Amino acid sequence: MINLKIIYKIVGSLLFIEMALLMVCLGVAIGYGESDTTAFAVSVGVTGLAGLVLRLFAHDCDNTLSRRDAYLVVTLTWVIFSLFGMLPFIISGYITDVTDAFFETMSGFTTTGASIIDNIDNYPHGLLFWRSLTQWIGGLGIVFFTIALLPSLVGGSVKVFAAEATGPIKTKLHPRLSTNAKWIWVVYIVITVLCLGALCAVGMDLFDSVNYAMVTAATGGFATKSSLVLFTPEVQYVIMFFCFISGINFTLLYASVSRRSIKMLFGSAEFKFYFFLVSAISAFITVELMWKNGYGLEHAVRSAVFHVVSFITTTGLINDDAGKWPHVTWVALAICMFFGACSGSTSGGLKCIRGVMLLKTLKNEFKKILHPNAVLPLRIDGMNVPNDKRLTLLSFLTVYLILSLVCSFTMIAAGIDSTNSITITLSCLGNVGPTLGLEIGPTMSWSILPDYAKWICTVLMLIGRLEIFTVLVIFTPEFWKES
Amino acid sequence: MKIIIAGAYAIGTHLAKLLSRDHEDITLIDSDEERINSIGGELDLLAMKASPTSVRALRETGVAGADLFIAVTPDENLNMTACVLAKAMGAKKTVAKIDNHEYIEPEQQEFFAKLGISSLIYPEMLAGQDINNGLKMSWVRQRWDVHGGALVMLGIKLREGCEILNQPLKDLCGPDDPYHVVAIKRGGETIIPGGNDSLQLYDLAYFMTTKQFIPYIRKIVGKEHYVDVKSVMIMGGGATAVRAVKTMPEYMDVKIIDTDEARCNHLNDIIDNSRVLVINGDGRDIPLLIDEGIKSTQAFVALTGNAETNILACLTAKRLGVRKTVAMVENIDYVPMAESLDIGTIINKKVIAASHIYQMMLDANVMNVRFLMSANADVAEFIPQEGAKITKKPVRELGLPNGMTIGGLVRDGVGMLVSGNTMIQAGDSVMVFCHDVNMKKIEKMFI
Repeated sequence: MINLKIIYKIVGSLLFIEMALLMVCLGVAIGYGESDTTAFAVSVGVTGLAGLVLRLFAHDCDNTLSRRDAYLVVTLTWVIFSLFGMLPFIISGYITDVTDAFFETMSGFTTTGASIIDNIDNYPHGLLFWRSLTQWIGGLGIVFFTIALLPSLVGGSVKVFAAEATGPIKTKLHPRLSTNAKWIWVVYIVITVLCLGALCAVGMDLFDSVNYAMVTAATGGFATKSSLVLFTPEVQYVIMFFCFISGINFTLLYASVSRRSIKMLFGSAEFKFYFFLVSAISAFITVELMWKNGYGLEHAVRSAVFHVVSFITTTGLINDDAGKWPHVTWVALAICMFFGACSGSTSGGLKCIRGVMLLKTLKNEFKKILHPNAVLPLRIDGMNVPNDKRLTLLSFLTVYLILSLVCSFTMIAAGIDSTNSITITLSCLGNVGPTLGLEIGPTMSWSILPDYAKWICTVLMLIGRLEIFTVLVIFTPEFWKES
Repeated sequence: MKIIIAGAYAIGTHLAKLLSRDHEDITLIDSDEERINSIGGELDLLAMKASPTSVRALRETGVAGADLFIAVTPDENLNMTACVLAKAMGAKKTVAKIDNHEYIEPEQQEFFAKLGISSLIYPEMLAGQDINNGLKMSWVRQRWDVHGGALVMLGIKLREGCEILNQPLKDLCGPDDPYHVVAIKRGGETIIPGGNDSLQLYDLAYFMTTKQFIPYIRKIVGKEHYVDVKSVMIMGGGATAVRAVKTMPEYMDVKIIDTDEARCNHLNDIIDNSRVLVINGDGRDIPLLIDEGIKSTQAFVALTGNAETNILACLTAKRLGVRKTVAMVENIDYVPMAESLDIGTIINKKVIAASHIYQMMLDANVMNVRFLMSANADVAEFIPQEGAKITKKPVRELGLPNGMTIGGLVRDGVGMLVSGNTMIQAGDSVMVFCHDVNMKKIEKMFI
């Protein structure tokens, strides 16, 4: 049944890639000559060795990857990447607790951006860069990254892709998956580079620009400074814009840009819904801020749009202390967290396309009461969604809600403020980052959470990133049954 | 004129019947012996048992000198291949029947012409157009545009509200009246009316008129209170239904009822239109029809593959108060029966397809024409030659034979009606209506 050897082989090879990534950070650390150099050197060694051992285990393996193997390999990859990714934090001694370190790394790879670090300003550049890099790699998916880089490595790459890709409907640019993956990566890199250029142009220094460009394109949200001094209005506008772009379906983005057609962008039902959500909620928060908090128009608009875009794309960067805003704005932001941006982008959450589908299903249900025999279509951009996909959608929503309920319940039972509990759950499942509430403000770290709450969060992040079913299927008895 | 027809199925035989009356030189090819025998004994043509795609058989039929090659087997691939072969072997013009709406798009025409297929016909598409014509003017049984709309012929059932009943036509259709009654169908009988005939209740009358007088005709036949069709119920979601829905005017709401759930889902895949509601059920299920609001529906269109079902469903719909019903009747023998049952419009794809091919030849001026309609009257278009008998006197003095009338004429592209004082000129295109008259006799007047 489970072909362990191929899993060893793939995970082993992926560890070599992680080693390469750590070596980049080692370079940064050496460049700055700071205290984390040894930590990275050791991490590189350990990771490489582990990879080597796994490859040895995989000696003369059978190169067939079944559906089960694909799901297992994807989930394991994310866990193991996080395990080795936390080494630099622990070895350097900046994070001593394993729970914290694992949380931080998983938060990085899943592009959540929730942090348990209280004093980020004392961190060496190497570690900061590593944090941003984990998000950038995790943005499009670790395995997806590998498919683009080494298509031959993942034999049944289509199955793997199905296990990791986001959104209910998969679109392809190119008949070959690896070419497809390369084009998506080109889009991703172009966004990152443009963002980097724009940030430099508005006066951010190079190191911060690189970091912020990576976390913006990945819609991750790790910050390199605890204060908001870096965030001049110009910087905010740049980040806002690129976050919004990163929240659009990359395939759609590529097609619209290559055909220079904004019409095509607005022809997509998902984009329309995304755009509508952003505009409507921003307008609401702007009004609230001007009315209740006495902000000026520009300031109110800037803060509102920045937060809405940041939350809906599940980036989680902040430019203002939303903890001081009227509480009703938190609800509006929680709605953003719940929906997330478009499928096929780097964002998390439920995805706008599911929102569109759910609304249309609702509409159909009302129609169905009047016309019990009607066979009603659920059209997304002219394509009728088949019945089994609609069922999957409803199951997805159900699991999403059950998970949210159970985790909020657990958090509240653990004695965390109730608003915080709910937003922490949404934040983890949607890979957003900040939490809103009375106890932990959006600008604060999550270090005060008890250990088991952190573990729950870590698991939720992974489940949320891999769109729930990929992870949960592994825990069904059916998965482990022979034949 | 030498015409080769491949495929002795319903369209092929119907077409052969139409053409053989014109004494054309027709060869019919089919690979099935039985079909060949049944048609060969009935009509004056050469029936050959051969495959339409056999090169040798095509050569034997003399395709090299053929003016027209028509492939109308049920298999579109066979039709297209046969046309390509025939064209390459020297046929002047080829026509293929197809089942794919993509091929019929205007931008594809040049491409297919290059391949060797001069014209394509898609019967479902034509049927869809006919259905829509019927729905757009719900008070009209049949509408036919002559010469691209220069003249319009309307077939109308006369009911109680009609203002022109029981009056001799000579009092009605004076020289200045904007219409001309060219044929009357009373019971099973077709009358080509003279001045002393009159219209009676429940007649199906054929009016010849020009476009701007259509509202006037509507008024005098007392059909102004007929509501426009805004919502339509279609039973049976086949290809014809899809074509009809896709070309339906924007303002019509449609409900398609089909018994097959998989087909219903497929319909949702191919019809991207929010005005269409697909319902899974049986169109003969009266509670379902009432539930779905048949009482506020203005038209019921039955398009299942079964003629009996369609006819009965239409009758049921009529009883439930639907004014306009359309039934697809593929069995030609049932058409008169369905008509006598007062079903509004009868759709027969085979006749429509055959007529269309016939008309295509007309438009291309390939031959002087005769055109058969469900009225069982012949419509012929004649172009009188210089010095022909008919151009010498006004129409009144010509002494036209009984059972013949001149409906109108098209002069320099403009349609006009003919009265007793009209002088026909050489080069006019004259529409002649006749029933049971020897065509040769009429033809003589134009030479």
